[in-house]
Amino acid sequence: MGTSGLLTYILLTPLAAFIATLVIPGRHTLAIKVANAFFAFVGLVLSVVVFTQYDLAAGGYQLMQDVPWVDSFGIRYTVAVDGVGVVLVLLNAIVFFTGVLTMWTLTLRVKEYFAFMALLVFGVFGVFISLDVFVFFFFYEVAVLPMYPLIAIWGSTKKEYSAMKLTLYLMVGSALLFPGLISLFVAGGSGSWNIEFLAAAIKNQPEFQVFVYPFVYVGFGILAGMWPFHGWSPTGHVAAPTAVSMLHAGVLMKLGAFGILRIAIGILPHGAEIWAPLFASTATVGIVYGAFVAMRQNDFKYVIGFSSVSHMGIVLLGLNTLTPDGTSGAVFQMFAHGIMTALFFSAVGFIYDQTHDRDIRHFGGLSKQVPVAAAFFIVASLCGMGVPGFASFWAEFLVFLQALASWPVLGVAALIGLVFTALYALRVLGKAMFGPANPSWDHLKDATPWAMVPRVILIGVLVLFGFFPSWILDIIHTATGNN
Amino acid sequence: MSGMGDLTLFLPEAVVLLAALVAFAMSAFARSYRAVWYATTFMSLAAVAVCIASMGFHGEPFFPGIYRVDLFSQLLKLGLTIGLALTLLVSRELPSVRASAHSDLPIFLTLGTLGMMMLVSATELLTLYVVLELSAYALYVMAALNRRQREGGEAGVKYLLFGAAASAITLYGLSLIYGAVGSTLLTDVVNHESSALLVLGVILTLSGLFFKLAVLPFHAWAPDTYQAAPHQVATFIGTSSKVAAIGILVRVLTMALDADAVQTLLIALSVVSMTVGNLAALAQKDLKRMLAWSTVAHAGYALLGMLTLSELGMASAIFYGLTYFVIAFAAFLAVVAVSPEGENPSLDSLKGLYRRAPLVGIVLLAGMFGLAGVPPTPGFTGKWFLFSAALESDYFWLVLVGAINATISLYYYLRVVRYAYQTVPDGHDSRPLKVDFPTQLAGWAAMGLIVFVGFYPGPLWDLARDAAKVLLAGG
Repeated sequence: MGTSGLLTYILLTPLAAFIATLVIPGRHTLAIKVANAFFAFVGLVLSVVVFTQYDLAAGGYQLMQDVPWVDSFGIRYTVAVDGVGVVLVLLNAIVFFTGVLTMWTLTLRVKEYFAFMALLVFGVFGVFISLDVFVFFFFYEVAVLPMYPLIAIWGSTKKEYSAMKLTLYLMVGSALLFPGLISLFVAGGSGSWNIEFLAAAIKNQPEFQVFVYPFVYVGFGILAGMWPFHGWSPTGHVAAPTAVSMLHAGVLMKLGAFGILRIAIGILPHGAEIWAPLFASTATVGIVYGAFVAMRQNDFKYVIGFSSVSHMGIVLLGLNTLTPDGTSGAVFQMFAHGIMTALFFSAVGFIYDQTHDRDIRHFGGLSKQVPVAAAFFIVASLCGMGVPGFASFWAEFLVFLQALASWPVLGVAALIGLVFTALYALRVLGKAMFGPANPSWDHLKDATPWAMVPRVILIGVLVLFGFFPSWILDIIHTATGNN
Repeated sequence: MSGMGDLTLFLPEAVVLLAALVAFAMSAFARSYRAVWYATTFMSLAAVAVCIASMGFHGEPFFPGIYRVDLFSQLLKLGLTIGLALTLLVSRELPSVRASAHSDLPIFLTLGTLGMMMLVSATELLTLYVVLELSAYALYVMAALNRRQREGGEAGVKYLLFGAAASAITLYGLSLIYGAVGSTLLTDVVNHESSALLVLGVILTLSGLFFKLAVLPFHAWAPDTYQAAPHQVATFIGTSSKVAAIGILVRVLTMALDADAVQTLLIALSVVSMTVGNLAALAQKDLKRMLAWSTVAHAGYALLGMLTLSELGMASAIFYGLTYFVIAFAAFLAVVAVSPEGENPSLDSLKGLYRRAPLVGIVLLAGMFGLAGVPPTPGFTGKWFLFSAALESDYFWLVLVGAINATISLYYYLRVVRYAYQTVPDGHDSRPLKVDFPTQLAGWAAMGLIVFVGFYPGPLWDLARDAAKVLLAGG
């Protein structure tokens, strides 16, 4: 097949955007934006190709490419996608492209901004396609670090504090991952970092699995917004500029969940089994707690930030059922939540850019003042509530169904969390979008057709997979063993 | 190539020696500093080329047993000459060195490098001690060359006093080793049956060498000397001398491969160095002092590899040393570049650097990410190798301590990045910085090396691994 290098090409698109951004002089801001949009679009097209070309019947890892990197140390650049990878690569491509379009109006230090953002996306693509633990972690760190300057320079609301808090939290996760991941290599006989190889090699070491599992799970879990280590997430979301929030909540947190799925559960299934009751419980607490706290927030972004903790709790709960259905639901939720949160932040960003205010109490009747922009927010809220017709409905449906079967008590508790979710979402809608209008915002301009483009793409994706969930679930099922 | 005439093996050292002599002669005949600088810089670049060419050399240029040229020594010599060349490249303007002493700097830089190059080849205890002193004296003198007499004197005296004490301890250790073995040849020591006296001797010898690497508790000189020494000298101490220190430490450790006492000592020192170095660095406002404390922490990381006393551990320490010095150089380059008057840069003086000197900003970014151990820099791969070596020897918790320390260090490294990439505040100097061409060249070279080895660590890792193999086999 002539497509064996396809994944590498996808990986190279953000790198090309990065290099183009460095080469173009900083004063040509439009050229920089066009270059980024172009490469993001190429990446998106290639990701769609991968998505449509993935052979459902064959399943497993496809489009594999395997090149020695540090051969004498067993490190190989091995990339391939299974059903999960395909979906997440597509997610990242969509969020990158719409993120670039959302930041079209940026004027502050455009060059550095897009350089860091492209670097972040580069790392994320790398993680989703790598099949080698070293390569995985290499890209993982590449993805995490650009968050710091992106938030510290272009952010708002205590940006330096939030940026540092976020970075340190995530790096504590990495500190757990260092011994965790390397000991996998040692336990696997010090020959290869290949994920499939390690899974086979460590299969019969139950004691080791139980010992090392929490390091790997929590290490990745911190990035997935795992309660009680979620503290970085809401503050980080709030401080980050719009497109960074989109990438951060939309894609970056998925890296953590993906790491848990691919490495923690993938290589250490026995450890996962032993620890699942504990981690399913913390996930459920996250669902309820996140929704509960979101009800009391007055800042749009804090609401979304805590809702992310809650929604990622659903992902983690699904993964911890350790069943095909639960896992499929979790992966679908990763995708749906990624798109939905991107839409959320992009809708809030649109309003914030004009008002420099995000306090829900200062708004009212936005649906009359800026009907289109408000519509985006309303759609995202409905999706967040898991209303049928949107992608997240199916995802949450699967997870809760499986959770009730696997952990009945937790399943019921998580369902209660859903009630809170509806409450906080409706509260925001009622206060800010409907009700009496605040006359001081009468002058707001509604979304122009150009500004609508990225948001409409996101809504389109949510609705598309809301009505045709099998398009995505069939692919996910090939990886989760549910046919 | 062992069939070559023996003295050819000494070629890399000879080039550096020649550079020292030329610099001495030229300054004696009152040539301008610029001319001396051109000559030595050119010759240091030639030395790099010779080192690359001599990578395959192995044999003994002098009496049997005292001086060995092999992959291990040649690899480190390459690092040392690159360190010399980079340091010289940023030395064309010397605002922090007193004017009358400008021409002295190249002389002592080359002499110091010569000492270090011989140090990594020395395989006989007395030779080892003599060349150790050769490199040390050059550093003592240079540390005192600060433009401001008082500070220069303080840096020099502090460094000298600590250095002399460390040197005495090393010498005492060497005498104990001789007492235990009855020979000064390293091969005899390695093959000799282990005894309490021998282990004590090795530990004392190591203690003196820890001073060079600034391992806690032998680090006390570092912050003050870094702060008060001229920038270029601090650069040299913070880069080249660390390569030499790691080289000689792993060499000496081959004498005690089966000693639990040594291992226990190294574990303790590694943990203390990492932790104290990082915590102290958190509080620093002066960039050079911060880098000094960060050196202490990095010494702890390097020990993490050495303490396994395994081939993998030695290889990872060598790899770490050879990449660390370039990364540290990137940080020091910014120190040199942001202080056109030779003053000590504070964090505040970095503000707006990304605009005042974009290249220096990026080099500093690469340096800080490298020190923090973040990909795609070799700081990340280096740590990965070190941690892997430690885990191979079952030091799970030690690796966790190291990794948590890396997290702590991120706080102060990222703070530097934030200052450098912050917009210039009102009332702050926002004029573009003048960065001379050789400094720019050094910046590009350092960044090129960092990115290249960061993405493609394979070749260097293989060399380090082979070097460790040679080291352990040769004894």
